[in-house]
Amino acid sequence: MTLAWREVRRARLRFGLLAGAVGLLIFLVLFVQGLTDDLVTQFVGAVRNQDAPVLVYGADARRNLEGSQITPAQAAAVARVPGVAESGPLGEGTFTMRAGGALVDAVLIGVDAGGPGLPATLVAGRLPEADGEAVASDRDRGDGFDVGDVVRVEPGGAPIRIVGRARDINYSVSPTLFTTFPTYEAARRIRNPDARAVNPSAIAVRPEAGVDPAALAARIDDEVEGVEALTRQQAADEAPGVSAVQQSFTVVNLLFYIAIPLVTGLFFIIVTLQKAGALTLLRAIGAPASVLVRALLVQVGGVLAAGAALAVVLLVAADALLGATGASVGVDLSARTVVVTLVIVVVLSLLTALAAVRRILAIDPIRATTGAGVSA
Amino acid sequence: MRVALRELRRRPGRFGVATGVLTLITTLLVFLGGLLDGLFLGSTGAIRAQDADVLVYSAFSRDSFLRSRIGPELRQEVERVPGVEETGGLGLALVAARVPGEEEPADAAVAGYQLAPEGVPPTPPPGEAWADRRLEADGVRVGQTLLMGPAEVPIRVRGWVEDTSYLLQGTLWVAPETWRRVQSLSRPDAAVAPGVFQVLAVRGEGDPADLARAIEAGTGGRTSALTLDEAVFSLPGTAQQNRVFTGIIGATLLVAVLVVGLFFVLLTLERTGLYGVLKAIGASSRQLFAGVVAQAVVVTAVAVALGTALAVLLALAVPPEVPLQLEPARAGITALGMLAAALVGSIVSLRRVVRIDPATAIGSAT
Amino acid sequence: MSAALDLEDVRKVYRAGEGEVVALSHATLQVGEDEIVALLGPSGSGKTTLLSIAGGLLAATAGRVLVGGRDISGATPGELTRFRREQVGFVFQAVNLVPFLTARENLLVVDEIGGRRKGPESRARADRLLEELGLAHRAGNLPGQLSGGERQRVAIGRALMNEPRLVLVDEPTSALDTRTGTQVMELIRTEVKGRGTAAVIVTHDTRMTRWADRTLHIDDGVLSAVPAAGPEGGDAEA
Repeated sequence: MTLAWREVRRARLRFGLLAGAVGLLIFLVLFVQGLTDDLVTQFVGAVRNQDAPVLVYGADARRNLEGSQITPAQAAAVARVPGVAESGPLGEGTFTMRAGGALVDAVLIGVDAGGPGLPATLVAGRLPEADGEAVASDRDRGDGFDVGDVVRVEPGGAPIRIVGRARDINYSVSPTLFTTFPTYEAARRIRNPDARAVNPSAIAVRPEAGVDPAALAARIDDEVEGVEALTRQQAADEAPGVSAVQQSFTVVNLLFYIAIPLVTGLFFIIVTLQKAGALTLLRAIGAPASVLVRALLVQVGGVLAAGAALAVVLLVAADALLGATGASVGVDLSARTVVVTLVIVVVLSLLTALAAVRRILAIDPIRATTGAGVSA
Repeated sequence: MRVALRELRRRPGRFGVATGVLTLITTLLVFLGGLLDGLFLGSTGAIRAQDADVLVYSAFSRDSFLRSRIGPELRQEVERVPGVEETGGLGLALVAARVPGEEEPADAAVAGYQLAPEGVPPTPPPGEAWADRRLEADGVRVGQTLLMGPAEVPIRVRGWVEDTSYLLQGTLWVAPETWRRVQSLSRPDAAVAPGVFQVLAVRGEGDPADLARAIEAGTGGRTSALTLDEAVFSLPGTAQQNRVFTGIIGATLLVAVLVVGLFFVLLTLERTGLYGVLKAIGASSRQLFAGVVAQAVVVTAVAVALGTALAVLLALAVPPEVPLQLEPARAGITALGMLAAALVGSIVSLRRVVRIDPATAIGSAT
Repeated sequence: MSAALDLEDVRKVYRAGEGEVVALSHATLQVGEDEIVALLGPSGSGKTTLLSIAGGLLAATAGRVLVGGRDISGATPGELTRFRREQVGFVFQAVNLVPFLTARENLLVVDEIGGRRKGPESRARADRLLEELGLAHRAGNLPGQLSGGERQRVAIGRALMNEPRLVLVDEPTSALDTRTGTQVMELIRTEVKGRGTAAVIVTHDTRMTRWADRTLHIDDGVLSAVPAAGPEGGDAEA
């Protein structure tokens, strides 16, 4: 493979620019992907990682907890639907809280202690068992929401003690606490003393054993007036904003994906055309086409590897930068996402490099003797 | 330079590659810019439209409309602060609106106001509204009566106003009592008493930042006063969104720089012999490099035109819930950015052009 | 009367690793105002070096180079570029025309670079030259559509576009068959003589020397009026 590397060494600027462009593009793909995933997780992690398989919203809410309300009559009707093993209130609201000595906007989600709707991803401590206790998101542990910390709803709320932490349970990109419904109700009244009644935002439902959540959701829709029942998955994916965010970034990422193989593939076609003379000569002195093709593929692989390495470095730097500027979003990338992205990029790039391979295979060694090398 | 431009005309195929890639990058940039504008303008319209110098929130609201409450007493305190000339109450409620003849309800922001924002007529009679044109996409028409929230409070649409949406929801500008009714009936837990608003829009004299500080001091810390710009960026996520998008756009422009650099280095390499001859017959490096730059700029300009057109077409295919807004100003900025990238990218070829020795033109057979 | 080209004791030494290679050794040569000099020598003899130094493409290691009475020995690269643009015409060995320009545009390039003539004037001169070279009907053709001889004729036209004092011709016939080569040499002589311009023609082909007023031999960097060895000394590669 010395042939391939020697050429890269001679033409460091060209290959460097290519690897730089490819690296930046891979970085952008991964960055946008990671940002989207992180954003979505922070938007609806609380919905995705609570333990009730079915959530019942007010029909007007358009799958948004913030705008949803369930009347006591509706709550009772849901509980009576056949197939419902257990149901309980779920209240959601954003409050100004004092945590770690500072004022922050935080989301309180109140559910029945021991009832459905509590976090399923506990990583430390325990779930709330009494009023005034809460589980916080693991992400916010450094901001005064660690186990043992005490927070208050301002102005003048009763203390809420953090008794546990759970992974990825944020809502609306804010620090999030799961607490008991009465604690949530008290917070509502602090925020608005004029409040008449505090209704739950949704009903968390656990089906009886053997009852399919989707089927149960459909049945609740049929039998209860003015509600919209959704499976956990639907509630997360169809939350307002989430699908818009995902669709927007899918288009952006698609364009980035197209750009990568376009740049690499076309680069290698141009380079192959430019050295047609030298390649013809090599063929004439007996180099088999397969050796030349392999040299080309090694270069493509090398450029992609260098680009991927650059992308990873940039990702780490970007994540650190986001962290340093106190941004609440970060880059949330699973190893699987990275690998899948890289595989797609490599496959697409190799596909476009096939055009350059075809050029090499089309070289006729006889032309070396007739002097038809590079034509201007 | 003329020679370079003639080459572009005679052999457009050889620039097709670069044009294609740069077109794609332009499309990306216009699209990203459109998302940024869509998110930013769509989220902040109701605040940007305020014809006020300062917005006053209650202290514990953390500068959020939904959590802020300003009662009549606090309002009087604000009005006593020297420099304050006029105040107007403002309240916002995010509710779903039932549109006659439409299956899906529309997301709306009901805004009760006293001081008319820019482009919004004076406060309408109770039960009527000036609607943001964004709602037109949800099937809302002038003259219709919308039913707001679970309590189905009726609001009749009197006419359209532009660019006043709030958190990507079309705003209905109504009388304060109408807003209070909607707020109290649809969110009993967040009901507001008569005379209470969420925020005060304040007109006054002097520098708005100074006025804001004076109001905070004058109310003994019970208020948080923000200039209009500060209020815009205090909306949830706005500042961060701008930073992240600007970062992505910047990195994408950098890709454009590298692509232009790469492509013209390859071209220059191909033209080493030709440049040697031209130098031998008296062309200066400067003239030859000017040719490279001219080509880079023209190729980029063509790509910008194609890419922008492609983005516009793509925007038509994007589902309406994606907050994409293509602004002429953004297209202009993108075009300038791309041309700057072309200039910077072509500089990579400068050293190669300068290094070509005219003496190679003599005594060589190729 | 000042000479078109005046080389005084010019030396050119290349550094090659540890040692030195003398490409041109104490060359002294005068070319009159409308004189055509043929420079005959095998490859590697130093004739290309001499041509490059005379044309301001290479700087001499020592000695003086005067073109039209002007000393270019100590000129800066910028001054040399200007000098080449205004005083010298080149005809290169390989036909180095700009491939995407027509015959006529290849001539106009010279004025575009120099910027001293305006459009109509420039076009008139290019058309006149193409007419003289028998290429009027090919003016709109790209180099790829011309024969080897025609291309070399376009190159001659390009060399004359800037009304040079000195035309330097590098192996003009090496890529041409004998008949076409003869035509090209005849054209060079007619055009150069008709304008009272001086020319130096470098070749390794003795048959081409009959169009010159004077023939000099060069071997191992040494210039002489007679062949260095043997009656056909310069014709080593023929």
